[in-house]
Amino acid sequence: MNPVQHPFTARKNRSRALEKLTFWLFRLATYLVLACGFFVFGNIFIKGAGTVFKKSFPFVNTVFLTEAPESLYVFTYQGTKMELGDRDYRAFRAAEEARAKAAGQPVPQFNAESYVYSAGGIFPCIVGTVLLVVGSMAIALVLGVCAAIYLNEYARDGRFIRFVRLSILNLAGVPSIVFGLFGFGLFVLFAPRLGVAPDPEKWHFRLWPLHQYVNFVGWGVSLISGWFTLAFMVLPVIITASEEALKSVPRGFREGSLALGATKWQTIRKNVLPYALPGILTSSILGIARVAGETAPIMFTAAFVVRDKLPWEGLDHWTDFFFQGVMALPYHIYVVSSKIPQNEYTARVQYGTAFVFLFLVAVIALASILLRNRLRKRYQW
Amino acid sequence: MPSAPPDPPSPFPITKARTHLLGLTFDECIQVFFGGNAVMAVVILGLITFFLFKEGASFFGQNRENLTVYRRAGLEYVDFMRQQEQDHTALTRYLSDLRLRTLQHLTGPGGLTLAAANTQLAPFDEFANRYSDAVVPLRGFVSDLTDVATAIKTKFIVMGDNKTQREQLLGAGKTAEAAAVVITPVDFKAELAPLVGTLPAYRDLSTAFAKSLTEAIASPPKLPTPELQARMERFRALTQQYLVSFPATLKNLESWDYLKPVPVWQAFTAFLFGKDWLTASFWQDWYGIVPLFVGSLLVSVIALLLAVPLGVGAAIYVNQIASPLEQRLIKPSIEFISAIPSVVLGFFGIAVLGEALRALSHVTWLSWVPGFPFAERLNALTAGCLLALIAVPTIFTLAEDALNNVPRSFKEASFALGATRLQTVLRIIVPASLSGIVSAVLLGLGRVIGETMVVLLCAGNRIASPDFTAGLGVVTQPVHTMTGIISQEMGEVVRDSIQYRALFVVGIVLFFLALLINFLAQKIVRKYRISIG
Repeated sequence: MNPVQHPFTARKNRSRALEKLTFWLFRLATYLVLACGFFVFGNIFIKGAGTVFKKSFPFVNTVFLTEAPESLYVFTYQGTKMELGDRDYRAFRAAEEARAKAAGQPVPQFNAESYVYSAGGIFPCIVGTVLLVVGSMAIALVLGVCAAIYLNEYARDGRFIRFVRLSILNLAGVPSIVFGLFGFGLFVLFAPRLGVAPDPEKWHFRLWPLHQYVNFVGWGVSLISGWFTLAFMVLPVIITASEEALKSVPRGFREGSLALGATKWQTIRKNVLPYALPGILTSSILGIARVAGETAPIMFTAAFVVRDKLPWEGLDHWTDFFFQGVMALPYHIYVVSSKIPQNEYTARVQYGTAFVFLFLVAVIALASILLRNRLRKRYQW
Repeated sequence: MPSAPPDPPSPFPITKARTHLLGLTFDECIQVFFGGNAVMAVVILGLITFFLFKEGASFFGQNRENLTVYRRAGLEYVDFMRQQEQDHTALTRYLSDLRLRTLQHLTGPGGLTLAAANTQLAPFDEFANRYSDAVVPLRGFVSDLTDVATAIKTKFIVMGDNKTQREQLLGAGKTAEAAAVVITPVDFKAELAPLVGTLPAYRDLSTAFAKSLTEAIASPPKLPTPELQARMERFRALTQQYLVSFPATLKNLESWDYLKPVPVWQAFTAFLFGKDWLTASFWQDWYGIVPLFVGSLLVSVIALLLAVPLGVGAAIYVNQIASPLEQRLIKPSIEFISAIPSVVLGFFGIAVLGEALRALSHVTWLSWVPGFPFAERLNALTAGCLLALIAVPTIFTLAEDALNNVPRSFKEASFALGATRLQTVLRIIVPASLSGIVSAVLLGLGRVIGETMVVLLCAGNRIASPDFTAGLGVVTQPVHTMTGIISQEMGEVVRDSIQYRALFVVGIVLFFLALLINFLAQKIVRKYRISIG
């Protein structure tokens, strides 16, 4: 016996089939995007994990994470294939040559192939990236949040403020390489530095009554140039997002507080900022992800291809700390993927660096997405 | 029991702050602090524009000077003849292509052996040799004149260097040393005399050249198939056209005047419409943005062609079709993809995707795809695919927002009238949010065109306009882009040199392009938004 037909069951016809087909196409598009994204993640995580982790204790490749990059030497010696980093190779070679000399044998030949940056680790790059991110975010957050508070709470909505707001919004879409160019022109080549003597070739003036001169000689390729370049790159994003967060606090919160006799600053501090904070935090974490991930702006403002000293080593004066270039993870990835050949020896450092970098950025981004979803639920009015 | 003394009257809980600093109350101080930060942020963001222009502006003056030297030193004169020589080379290339086709036909299935085919092609080779040898006198002639013109230019540059040196010495107060710097002014007229004096010789040479070409093409070899024969006819027609252009070249040479001033607009048009970007060349540097602009555009178009269907499709799916659970999982995942740094994607392109696409292009049954197979692992297609992955999250998020803003009542009304889900989605929801979707696509374009690391690593970095005669196959050619050239050359240029300025002007172009795209996106949203209510 046939089951009773539901009276409202749709009849099968061409338009139903078409609908199903179209919806499947949309579904396919969605999952294709996800598959591509996760393939990239998976590829780098799986291949990079081989460099970053090991099978035995302590399971993490501490050499890779704590040492500076060096050249890798690959050679066959007395029938065994050896791969040694620069320092080990020199020591090994010296020891073997001394041994051969002592034994009266001919000096052994080493026909080593060398691959730059393929041995050692990426510690200076991690340090550089962390320094760049911390410094630039500090600048960007102070300036950005304060500017947003001023624009949203204090400024009267006039034509000028609207123009400023529009320009900031538009600057958010300017390519990062243009900010790099700007940072190069302004900070690297032009920014002022204090000095005891005037620089005759540059624009300069004396800080009158002091015996100090301000010379517009530029900061060079340095940490501080990178900080400011990156900070101004994310500044539009942070201002816009913070203002958005401030705007979403209902007017009644402010009016209630003011009506009770609180001053403007008390109102802002107690009744606006606490509720806008989640939004500001989210935007700033997104800003961190962006700052950490960008390569183009630091290519010619802050990053060195290679530097053998860590930032805090060998400083003559504490201010030199700010005026030194650093190695950075994204720039290191660029260097190792474009300037050295692709083979099994170089792939380890390439994938390892990409793994560490992607992991850092992904954690930051994930944190911001989770935080936003959580806070969105908590504050609803 | 004595009653406790009454509490002193408690102060009013909210008292007005009375702190004064420089005549300002505490509140005003705070306001000034915030205002000061805002002013500083705005001022420095304004400086961006200023500095781009400051560094870029004098490019056009320098470029005009560059073009003036090109004319004064007679390089332009020599280039007229060189052009003639190069056109001939292009024709020879056509001829060798024809030979290859004929050879393939002859040695094809059931055909001759290679040796026999080559024997049969002997008359063709004789013809081709006669044709290509005809240019030899011209080539020698041009090569001699090149040396002359280069010598004049070098003299001029040395003079310029000496002048700056003397000025520097004078500036440092070393008058004696400054006087010792010898500046030999370049007498262009006298220097150019031997160059221009070759005109009668050239006239004879050109006539002889035309004659030998005409003789050469008078007796073309017979080719086996009508298709190849048609190509030979085409070749002869092209040569005829080439011969017709001879008097024009001669006229150019005759009317050439080294003193003719270079108009100001030419400094701009040479940049905006120049087809060469050639730096550090021994002959003449050219700064034309066209190849870079076309490269950027080509890569972006590929990226958008891939990203728009995927991004918009995914947005429609997530917003209209997916179950709530899918929605909750897919949205953050796609946003998460946008967190992949572009340099990592570029590395992925070099390490995995480029190789994979090339392997794919060599699969036999895919050879019908235009541009397949290709040999260059890094090309516009590789970069375009990766840029698509960058653009998808942007397009997805914004398009999803736009779909979300369509009022529920639209959907309900549509269902109430008996429309199916597909009809509702495609005819009601999507059109209602079209302005938002278009602006999402525009912002995706802005993201893609400004992207640097992916194109620098994966686009192949060949500075030449892609060859559009290849049809759709153009997508598999290596290109260079505006963002790529800045990041590649900025690290190496001398400060204040013309190349340095040119890179800043490219930056200005990018800046305005980004502003234009943003502006359009906002305008579209505002103008075509469906009024709700």
